[in-house]
Amino acid sequence: MKPGFSPRGGFGGGRGGFGDRGGRGGFGDRGSFGDRGGRGGFGDRGGFGDRGGRGGFRGRGGFRSPDGGGFRGRGGGRGTPRGRGGRGGRGGFGAGRKVLVEPHRHEGVFICRGREDALVTKNMVVGESVYGEKRMSVEEGETKIEYRAWNPFRSKLAAAILGGVDQIHIKPGAKVMYLGAASGTTVSHVSDIVGPEGLVYAVEFSHRSGRDLLNVAKKRTNIIPIIEDARHPHKYRMLVGMVDVIFADVAQPDQTRIVALNAHNFLRNGGHFVISIKANCIDSTAAPEAVFASEVKKMTSENMKPQEQLTLEPYERDHAVVVGIYRPPPKQKK
Amino acid sequence: MLVLFETAAGYAVFKVLDESKLKKVDSLYKEFETPEKANKIVKLKHFEKFQDTTEALAAATALVEGKIGKSLKKVLKKVVAKEAHEQLAISDAKLGGVIKEKMDLSCLHSPAVAELMRCIRGQMEGLISGLPPKEMSAMSLGLAHSLSRYKLKFSPDKVDTMIVQAISLLDDLDKELNNYIMRCREWYGWHFPELGKIITDNLAYCKSVCHIGDRTNVAGSDLSELLPEEIEAEVKLAAEISMGTEVSEQDISNIRHLCEQVIEITDYRAQLYDYLKNRMMAIAPNLTVMVGELVGARLISHAGSLLNLAKHPASTVQILGAEKALFRALKTRKDTPKYGLIYHASLVGQTSAKNKGKISRMLAAKASLAIRYDALGEDTNAEMGVENRAKLEARLRYLEEKGIRRISGTGKAMAKADKYTHKSQVKLYDPSGDSTIPSTSKKRKLEEMQEEEETPSKPAKKAKKIKKEPVSEEVGETSTVSTEETPKKKKKKKSIAVEPKEEEVQVAEQPKEKKKKKKIKEED
Repeated sequence: MKPGFSPRGGFGGGRGGFGDRGGRGGFGDRGSFGDRGGRGGFGDRGGFGDRGGRGGFRGRGGFRSPDGGGFRGRGGGRGTPRGRGGRGGRGGFGAGRKVLVEPHRHEGVFICRGREDALVTKNMVVGESVYGEKRMSVEEGETKIEYRAWNPFRSKLAAAILGGVDQIHIKPGAKVMYLGAASGTTVSHVSDIVGPEGLVYAVEFSHRSGRDLLNVAKKRTNIIPIIEDARHPHKYRMLVGMVDVIFADVAQPDQTRIVALNAHNFLRNGGHFVISIKANCIDSTAAPEAVFASEVKKMTSENMKPQEQLTLEPYERDHAVVVGIYRPPPKQKK
Repeated sequence: MLVLFETAAGYAVFKVLDESKLKKVDSLYKEFETPEKANKIVKLKHFEKFQDTTEALAAATALVEGKIGKSLKKVLKKVVAKEAHEQLAISDAKLGGVIKEKMDLSCLHSPAVAELMRCIRGQMEGLISGLPPKEMSAMSLGLAHSLSRYKLKFSPDKVDTMIVQAISLLDDLDKELNNYIMRCREWYGWHFPELGKIITDNLAYCKSVCHIGDRTNVAGSDLSELLPEEIEAEVKLAAEISMGTEVSEQDISNIRHLCEQVIEITDYRAQLYDYLKNRMMAIAPNLTVMVGELVGARLISHAGSLLNLAKHPASTVQILGAEKALFRALKTRKDTPKYGLIYHASLVGQTSAKNKGKISRMLAAKASLAIRYDALGEDTNAEMGVENRAKLEARLRYLEEKGIRRISGTGKAMAKADKYTHKSQVKLYDPSGDSTIPSTSKKRKLEEMQEEEETPSKPAKKAKKIKKEPVSEEVGETSTVSTEETPKKKKKKKSIAVEPKEEEVQVAEQPKEKKKKKKIKEED
């Protein structure tokens, strides 16, 4: 089994199935968990152990890939050079280390305990890495279960979970609408959590990211890719049923309105929403707390009741996640 | 009131049974809490299923654009037009306007309608009977994929997997072909060994074997279409005096089968090569123009996909394929390789060895641009590749000319100062002038003395010059000039002792030629 292979076409690892010519065999597995971009050029080569004589193009960190919008998914820390932080050391998950996986408080999410702890989800497509993340196999009696590491520096949802959010509402069997799916990195984890019984409607407007998203959706049948503007939910009304949760990571100044529109169309009564707010994006001049407060106010006016709010320190700066309920059922007054 | 509800499986038209409930918008959801209750408010009047995915895709795209698709028109005519007095509730106001315009049906869109749509969507499987939820989700998945592919202008002829597979198959075929041909030669060589030595071309050999069969048939058979005249004559001659053994019909027929296979595979290989060329032109026209189909295909295959190749910087494209040499050189701190797969591009092949490195770098830079244009650009024409190639060819010509110009020596080049090479000036003391014995004639003596002075100094200076020559040979082209001008009958391994004599003679004969030699200046 070839380790660390990501689906063809979209991501850096595509091979067409023969030989190690591209030399990207160990990309996902070896070395540290976390950003590629921070790594220096060829200093790590010795540590990786030239498999098949191809130290080759594994360390894309050496070739600092451009931070343009086009090249997402692989290749370097896009704008989060502090990726070194928590999970820097290569010691954490070397190949073949024994780890213990236990369930997290949130259903469908797990914690992997080894030399360092990591947040993981159960891999729906065994043997494949979506964006070069590390995978770990655990014996569960007779069966082998594979888990994929979830990087909190790249995913706001993972950062929120590690930050201690009370409820994410995304659980196995849930129907989730994901606005701002990008290249499908977090969407793949959400898909792992909801499992084959659930559904993830992934909405992304950008064509470049959309291509990568399509490739992810090819492998996972519970992801429905929608390449449309989330501002016009009526355009994709044909594809979507009622959902239980809306997760929004769109980074637009009018994102509350976008979420509200989608909620009015597709979110069931008593359904929940999880919105990630980037203060800089809404209003770069105002203080982040003021921005969060104004967003919360906008939500309440749209019949969306916020229940909790937390910032994503230390993983992101001036970001907050708001979790709430939409059209809560009226309290029974006895 | 009728309600038009679009789903991935088809169009559904509901009839509202109890319109009064619609007035109470806020509590409408209560009425849709269970399928039974929902069925009391609205009833499915007609469900128009999509026949296949193409129809569904057409309907979906029409919906996105806000137009009336064919299937929608059909539904509206069939069902709604019959009850023209009823209003049609729809989710999209714009679509409503279009419907009213085209089909003259009054449409309604309001918050109450939106709420109604919500409720219907919530109870979709209960209301639309005869449609299991699994089928609905499968249809919406398929429709979403086709719609996304359509949006992204996913065209099947831009899939670079074909290239990667085709080039690997080409390599595989070559290997196999080689094996079979070797086997064929060896096997048939048992019967007719001379044929293998006479016919060097593999395909011609196999065709001949197929044609001839047993070597006794050679005399009678006509090989003129397969082989040129002289070779045919040789073959006929060799067949008479061959020292191979006799073999049975069965053996010959098996050998024949093998040869037929070889011929088939060769044909197929040619076809595959054509196919590869077409695909390369379709998928990456600019890259094809710049480096050629084969090299382009190998680059794509090496990187894994066209998009991956586009992500590599130009320096990587330059040495793609020479990773072993690269990392070895990096580890031992030696010089890294200058070219990888790019070496086989025609532009690099045409240049002299000295300029290959330069051209390879320039070609890699421009090719990298071409690759990015092909992988990520929207339109697919080869203009940019053609332009870049022209630029590169001009630069190539200039590079070659620059070398040539210095030999012929224009005024500009001559005026240019030469690179400083240290020539140590050691003057040996000439003892011949020491003699105090009076000579016979002063005049003669003077001439003699002059001559004597010159000749010993010449070889001395010559010796130094010769020593400097081997050093400067690497530096400039002047030494090549000098070696060229020495008489051609001299073999290359000239001893240095011989050289001074030659050069002396030459210098005496052609004093003006070697501008580098100080000697000339002296004599002049």
